[in-house]
Amino acid sequence: MRLNTKTLINLSVCIYEDQIGKFDWRQTYVGRIKFSQFDTVSTAKKIIVATEENVLAALNLKTGQVVWRHVFESASTGNIQLLAITDKVVTVSGSNPYLVRGWDSATGVLQWEWSLSLENDEQADFSEWWVQNDLLIHMLPVFGSHLEVSMYHLASGQNRGYTSKLPASWTRESTCVLTPPYYTCISGERGSENLISMDVTSQAVQLITRPLSEYVNVETYDGGIGAVDGSSVIPAFTVDDKKIIMIKNNKFEMLTTNVGDALASVALIDMANGPVVLQAWMDDNQGFTMTAHSVATGAELPELRVTDRNLKIPDPEVSSAVCTKSNREQLVCRVLISSGDDSVHLMQQGGRVLWSREEALANVVAVEFVELPVSDLDAAIESEFDQKEGSIWAAFSRRLQTQFTQLQTLVQSIQRGEGLEEDAPSALVRDYFGLHKIIVLVTDVGKIFGMDNLSGAILWQYYEADLDTEGVVVFTRRTARHPPHDAYLTVVGKQEGTGNGLIISLNPITGTLIGERLLKLDVQLLQCTLLHRPDNEKLHALILLDKEENVQVLPRSAAPLVENMFMYVAERNTARVQGYALVFNGQQVEAIRTWLVQLGGSAGAGHRIVVALGKAPGERVHSPGRVLPDRSVLYKYVNPNLVLFLTEGPDPLHKDIVVATCVDAASGAIVAAQSHRRARALPHAVHTEHYLAYLYYNDKHRRTEIATLELYEGKTRWLPAGAAFSSLSSERAPSVERQAFILSGAPTAAATTVTERSLTDKHVLLALSSGAVVEVPWVYLEARRGGAGEDGVVLPAHAPELPLGGDARLNYNRTLARPAHIHAAPAGLESTSLVLTTGLDLFYTRVAPSKTFDLLKDDFDYYLITVVLAGLILATYSTKYFASRKMLKQAWK
Amino acid sequence: MKQLLATVLTVCTFSYVLSAVNIPEEEVGNGRYSIEGKVFPPEDLELGPWQVDTRIHVNGGEYIGFIRGDGTFVIHNVPSGSYVVEIIHPDYMYEPVRVEINSKGKFRARKVNYIQTSQVIQVPYPLRLKALSKFRYFQVREQWRLTDFLFNPMVIMMILPLLFIMILPKMMNDPETKEDLKQISNLAKMSEMPEMSEMFTSLFSGGAANKASAAKAKQVKKRQ
Repeated sequence: MRLNTKTLINLSVCIYEDQIGKFDWRQTYVGRIKFSQFDTVSTAKKIIVATEENVLAALNLKTGQVVWRHVFESASTGNIQLLAITDKVVTVSGSNPYLVRGWDSATGVLQWEWSLSLENDEQADFSEWWVQNDLLIHMLPVFGSHLEVSMYHLASGQNRGYTSKLPASWTRESTCVLTPPYYTCISGERGSENLISMDVTSQAVQLITRPLSEYVNVETYDGGIGAVDGSSVIPAFTVDDKKIIMIKNNKFEMLTTNVGDALASVALIDMANGPVVLQAWMDDNQGFTMTAHSVATGAELPELRVTDRNLKIPDPEVSSAVCTKSNREQLVCRVLISSGDDSVHLMQQGGRVLWSREEALANVVAVEFVELPVSDLDAAIESEFDQKEGSIWAAFSRRLQTQFTQLQTLVQSIQRGEGLEEDAPSALVRDYFGLHKIIVLVTDVGKIFGMDNLSGAILWQYYEADLDTEGVVVFTRRTARHPPHDAYLTVVGKQEGTGNGLIISLNPITGTLIGERLLKLDVQLLQCTLLHRPDNEKLHALILLDKEENVQVLPRSAAPLVENMFMYVAERNTARVQGYALVFNGQQVEAIRTWLVQLGGSAGAGHRIVVALGKAPGERVHSPGRVLPDRSVLYKYVNPNLVLFLTEGPDPLHKDIVVATCVDAASGAIVAAQSHRRARALPHAVHTEHYLAYLYYNDKHRRTEIATLELYEGKTRWLPAGAAFSSLSSERAPSVERQAFILSGAPTAAATTVTERSLTDKHVLLALSSGAVVEVPWVYLEARRGGAGEDGVVLPAHAPELPLGGDARLNYNRTLARPAHIHAAPAGLESTSLVLTTGLDLFYTRVAPSKTFDLLKDDFDYYLITVVLAGLILATYSTKYFASRKMLKQAWK
Repeated sequence: MKQLLATVLTVCTFSYVLSAVNIPEEEVGNGRYSIEGKVFPPEDLELGPWQVDTRIHVNGGEYIGFIRGDGTFVIHNVPSGSYVVEIIHPDYMYEPVRVEINSKGKFRARKVNYIQTSQVIQVPYPLRLKALSKFRYFQVREQWRLTDFLFNPMVIMMILPLLFIMILPKMMNDPETKEDLKQISNLAKMSEMPEMSEMFTSLFSGGAANKASAAKAKQVKKRQ
């Protein structure tokens, strides 16, 4: 009898406690700054920021690191409307109903909160909030009619008894600005506008009215009115982007200082010797420029002037600033500047940047792992083997030469190793195990980053303000494996505004533009793909299908290589999928419509596509089948053209249904389908080899479920071994094994681990809304769970709920805020897969689904082995010596 | 055979949209309610503001609550429906609770059971939530311990015979033991076929006489 207790599947995936931070890192972000204020009251100096990502955070003034952070709801219920600092940090968030909260600025603990809902829901979006004398003031303008002003006690929310309605027929939408406590509008006929302002908190209605022509030329005026940036202490605004007007003693007062540039950000800050106008803009010739003028005298403060040609801060905005006088009567200023590329810089007087935060990384939309090139030396060695010609002597001399250079670098590295320590950044060359890569991240704002995967350090950045990253795709068109050609990466996106195609090609190692560089197309794109065959420069051509169904091939010379190419275009809202065949007709490539599938029944059924997911390009499948307990083989259905479509739509009987359809994208054939009643689809699915998994929310049982499909050809092969799969010649449908499991969390992203040769097990990675990234071995999702596996392997017993315990969590207690995507890439080691989770935070780690079978354990005790070996050698020689002495003694006896 | 290699790539016109898990529309009333409760910190927690690290997620982050200094929390503006309230702490596990608010504004809290969704085990409302246990994130590294090594049966099997081989000859050199052995051999000589019992009694009496050597006593026991 054979013992059936042997398990090959080791299901514990967690790391050891001493491995914390050894090969993972987490970076926390807050998002683009919306409001900021310096908290100079408490001992540990901080900047309190509220962001577009609905995050409230305190940043350390010295380092820029997050001291504490609160992540609000990502929907409009979490929108932060106001940030004010009294003795507490006060926020107003949400959009009718609003929540008013007070936080302790040192610890970040919530002190009080109260809810406020407005009756006038339509106008609520125009609400203005501010804090004055421990009162929260809410103002709701009803344009052309009146202003509703309510005051609430800040901590308790008690209304002071009334909502006052101030008559204000002069208010106009989009020409008004609030500079607490004044509300100012430009009103009147064109050419004879008046500037009207009112203190909305005063008991008596008192209007300040001056003709606009006193300040600007009404003939040429079109800049409108704008509040000054930053947390101003004095009510002030700009008119026509040229003049700064402040309100003092119920009078308008125009400053002698003009706005320096049409795009300048203007801020008023309070200083020891009176208020100061601070302006910052990006000058075409002089680079980043910041000026400061005294309000009282109009004289410039030279110690605050900054012009820096090397500082690249597109569209700078003075978010907040604080200036104090040091002991030696010197001005000490801290200016927080937020930029159009979502970065934040803290600057001191003189223009030195103390720290910068790249908040664009809070919104990563596309990720690509890029291999590093081999070092020059390795390249030389490799090229040595390429050169076949030449006599034996030439080869010998080459050998000697390379060996000499190798020796040289060895000596150099030893010399260098003594001098400096690990501070020097490791050279950007491929390491022995292929674990070192560059992560290229495309962010929502249009900034592209190159990041070192081992340290998380940003190596290069490229900002393209014109890039609209909705539906952006990234292709590695040439890896670094083909010297002397550089690696080549292409980002295909849209242009801001027009929606036409925008193509950015760059070298992912250095971040410099190459090839097509920045290419602006004059047509919108439908679909894009890579040609699977490289040209003679090892470059994979980019194939673009535009709105008029014309095909462009970049570079054009690669067009004759197009053969047997198929494409599909899926319309998200109508669930219509159109297939195309790409044919080269001698001059150009044409797209011919081949098939059309209307998912979810007829066109008017109201189904929409939630997920369309094909296989990763270039995916390898290691074993073509699975061994069953009776030693027969069940062959996998591995169709490289298979695409999973997950659609959801209304159903007359079951309310909502979710349909998963597997479509062969080359032939248009529907291979398998599965529907779920009373369910809503979640936009997360995985698809590799012969199996698919997708997530949906079961409305009937109010739980999230993960459904899996496994496709098999059966016990005989359809094609002889080694033959390429053909979509057009397979008439048979695969057999499908299905199963669904319950998930106890709310998933926000799904992916599978990817390894170099797919020898290793595949695990499914799920990010949960709780901030955990969990690794679920595929055996837990298999339909055959509970049965017997091949060769006596015991599969986990069937259970309806998937285990998502602490030991399955990749990020242990490093909770991630709003994880949104998981990206996995193979390492050079077969056992290891590199995983990056994006969202508000970035988390990188590496996982070994089948354990690191090709690597020594990292706790391998080199010391013990050395000692034991040394001891054994010593013992051998000493016993030899003693034995000879004994022999000698015996001989004498 | 004409090889048909087809490459189809992902749709670029798609971008993923994160959709929070919404409650079904039919259950949404007009009224807005507040879910209240109190979270008790884990007892063995080191000092520090645990309230900052702890979040309350309702329906996977659709509503988020924050904890006040005393551990209480309120989630405002929730329409009637069924909600799963989770306490999220990086190090400690809390049991989620399902809170149901009917259209009249009556609250019911019960244990979350995803498998038998109709089973109701009620818990008190306003919620009182205690930490269940600490998350076990890490594997325990196997440490090399001397006791583990020594009590290994293989090691014992090797060490004990080694002891006999190495130590017994040494004992032989000890004069007292030699004496004993001599006595035994004398006895053996005296009566050609000595009885076992006789031999042992003599040995014991001899052993008792030499109490000083504890090692010897042990040796005797071993021989038994």
